[in-house]
Amino acid sequence: MEIKNFTITKRDGSKDQFSLDKIMNAIVKAFESVDQPAELATISRVLTHLDIKDDITVEDIQNQVEEALMKEGFYKVAKSFMLYRQQHTEDRETLEKMMFLSEYMESVNAATGSKYDANANVEHKNIATLIGELPKSNFIRLNRRLLTERIKKMYGKQLADEYIDKLTHHFIYKNDETSLANYCASITMYPWLIGGTTSIGGNSTAPTNLKSFCGGFVNMVFMVSSMLSGACATPEFLMYMNYFIGKEYGLDYWKHPEQQADLSLKKRTLDKVITDYFEQIVYTLNQPTGARNYQAVFWNIAYYDRYYFESIFGDFYFPDGSKPDWDGLSWLQKRFMKWFNHERTKTMLTFPVETMALLTDADGNCKDPEWGEFTAEMYAEGHSFFTYMSNNADSLSSCCRLRNEITDNGFSYTLGAGGVSTGSKSVLTINLNRCIQYAVNHQQDYLEYLGTVIDLCHKVQMAYNENLKELQAHGMLPLFDAGYINIGRQYLTIGINGLVEAAEFMGLKITPNDDYLHFVQGILGLIEKYNKQYRSKDVMFNCEMIPAENVGVKHAKWDREDGYFVPRDCYNSYFYVVEDDSLSIIDKFKLHGAPYIEHLTGGSALHMNLDEHLSKQQYLQLLKVAAKEGCNYFTFNIPNTICNECGTIDKRYLKECPHCHSKNVDYMTRIIGYLKRVSNFSQPRQEEAARRFYAHGGTSKVTR
Amino acid sequence: MLKYVNTDVVFQEIPDEVTLAINISGCPCRCPGCHSPYLWTNIGLPLDTGAIDYLVIKEGGNITCIAFMGGDGDPKAVNMLAQYIHEEYPQLKVAWYTGRIRVPAIINRQDFDYIKVGPYIRHLGPLKSPTTNQRLYRRNDDGTFDDITYRFWRRT
Repeated sequence: MEIKNFTITKRDGSKDQFSLDKIMNAIVKAFESVDQPAELATISRVLTHLDIKDDITVEDIQNQVEEALMKEGFYKVAKSFMLYRQQHTEDRETLEKMMFLSEYMESVNAATGSKYDANANVEHKNIATLIGELPKSNFIRLNRRLLTERIKKMYGKQLADEYIDKLTHHFIYKNDETSLANYCASITMYPWLIGGTTSIGGNSTAPTNLKSFCGGFVNMVFMVSSMLSGACATPEFLMYMNYFIGKEYGLDYWKHPEQQADLSLKKRTLDKVITDYFEQIVYTLNQPTGARNYQAVFWNIAYYDRYYFESIFGDFYFPDGSKPDWDGLSWLQKRFMKWFNHERTKTMLTFPVETMALLTDADGNCKDPEWGEFTAEMYAEGHSFFTYMSNNADSLSSCCRLRNEITDNGFSYTLGAGGVSTGSKSVLTINLNRCIQYAVNHQQDYLEYLGTVIDLCHKVQMAYNENLKELQAHGMLPLFDAGYINIGRQYLTIGINGLVEAAEFMGLKITPNDDYLHFVQGILGLIEKYNKQYRSKDVMFNCEMIPAENVGVKHAKWDREDGYFVPRDCYNSYFYVVEDDSLSIIDKFKLHGAPYIEHLTGGSALHMNLDEHLSKQQYLQLLKVAAKEGCNYFTFNIPNTICNECGTIDKRYLKECPHCHSKNVDYMTRIIGYLKRVSNFSQPRQEEAARRFYAHGGTSKVTR
Repeated sequence: MLKYVNTDVVFQEIPDEVTLAINISGCPCRCPGCHSPYLWTNIGLPLDTGAIDYLVIKEGGNITCIAFMGGDGDPKAVNMLAQYIHEEYPQLKVAWYTGRIRVPAIINRQDFDYIKVGPYIRHLGPLKSPTTNQRLYRRNDDGTFDDITYRFWRRT
């Protein structure tokens, strides 16, 4: 080996002068560690095998030393050298974790401090959230390994390599890679109603009265959520509660809620007894949870109008043979919504995320006018919730963003209502902006190129599904075994991000126009084609525009670094540009209307950002607009003001606290699906919230 | 000939309605402190029955009301268009934001469902201000008008 003035590349990327002494020292130490004589001649022989080039990496030199030792027959020395390297690798990892630890402690909030999976649902930054953060990088490595091993077995090494390549070059993004559990589910509570929690590893028996229902429900939701990485929806919550109230106070309890129902000195009315249970359940489920790294459980519920309810629960029987009572449930749903809306002026409560399910007739009117009116009334009173409107009961949302088509509304005596058991096992997202730009820059047809990426995603999801089946086969997924979730009715989800940005790259205007529509349909139609192609009797796919709480920020950053066209710091989660103030509210409904969302089978909820509440009549008209345009999933989002000085919460979007007149105010908004303080979102998301245009709903003639 | 510069779907101008506001140019009022002095000049596209048809086809099913914002240079033309809307599109209400102190005598008020009168006077404030001089009236079924300006104050 010739000695020249080389530079070497160190692990952190910096350069240094090559030093032969350092290599010799390392080799000498390796010999000494196994008590072998390290003679100069021996060492020289080893060194002759090395091929040192300019800018060689430290790793590379060490690999060569290992091989050289073995070529010369010093196997024991080589082994010791490897062990020494391994030990240093471990030390470096620990050092990295320690660096992360101190950076995390210095960061402004938990979402900004999180390196891998920023999440605004973590309100505080403390030892519990830190414990959740530290193993995330290991989970990512483990999940990739599990998946690539499976892909190799099913489709060969080339595809496994292709997956890692597309992943590391940010063409695709695997959601929730920091968790081992499947994603989100809407569960049937029937197995719990029959057998309690023993079948999923708990110790409580079936609920028998209102008290044991309310207490047991909370425990059951905690248990279920600890086995999911995302949300848990209980679309039967109020129906079951109504059943237990009816059993205790009579089916017509709702006709006399003001009657005394309590023999204590407090002499509580029935209404107070019921709302006290609401309070117990809602406040408990909004607590930070130990088993979920100090996040609250992502609890979701649903409300129904009469017809939606009949479609889903028309054949439902409780274990005692009785049928759900619509009149009582209708009252209880309204009572819960009113109570929850009022409670939110006292405390910042994120969960449950609520979805109102309404059926419409052929003219786009609500089939059940009572519930259409009530929906508009609640929006006008400032309550924040989602609405799902359809002309048949085809979907339920399993979390704050994803709707899932219901494939079977049948009833079974062991599993209850078939329709409610749905959800998504796993989400794999395509960065459309990068994929399309890459294809165009390489003179390829972008749809053809996308086709290869989409196909890859489906194969990866199939591999994920096999891994999940193996977990189930080993009894690791009691939610499936106990019937809370039906694995056959869970979707594998293809997510999309960067759609609007890709369209802008193609020179399209992001307004309701035919060219943009054609572009959207071309892409989403292609995904749906593959979704159908890969569908079998055990596997179903859907497609979702992901809310991209942190992925939208990451994609924008990575794409910009690699020289792609990136028009904003956070990719949109809507079909329109969130900061565009030239689009009217009706334009936004159009851009989330039937022609655009047709192939988006996993849904995308339109977040209609307004700066002021509308009146009930105006919301009623907008429900009609939504039905007419075919925008089936939406919410109205008016930032609520929360005073940092006196804690007052006001449903309006104010610059100053109406109580103490402090200007030190924060806002609660839905940046993605759930309502949170703006200051809890990661830094780039907070910036998006500030830029976001809240439609004034007026010219300046009224307010100036 | 009336001309309009642009339109917008608005919620605050007319309570309880989803309104297509048509911003009419050539405004002769020229209130000091006007928020849209660009409407003083005679710019934009002709606003005639053809333009109304175009706008209604575009947004008709989604809105409940059409509001003429301005048009004081030719109130008769505004009246004519209001009449046209009521005849052709009976499901839609018609509103007029005039900057005059009173509704011109040549106007048939019955052709309007809402009329806002009054120029903007800075120290009295806009409609949202309880001291405003401006008034919004709503026509009742019997043809009388109610002052509903208070609807703008409730939420402040």
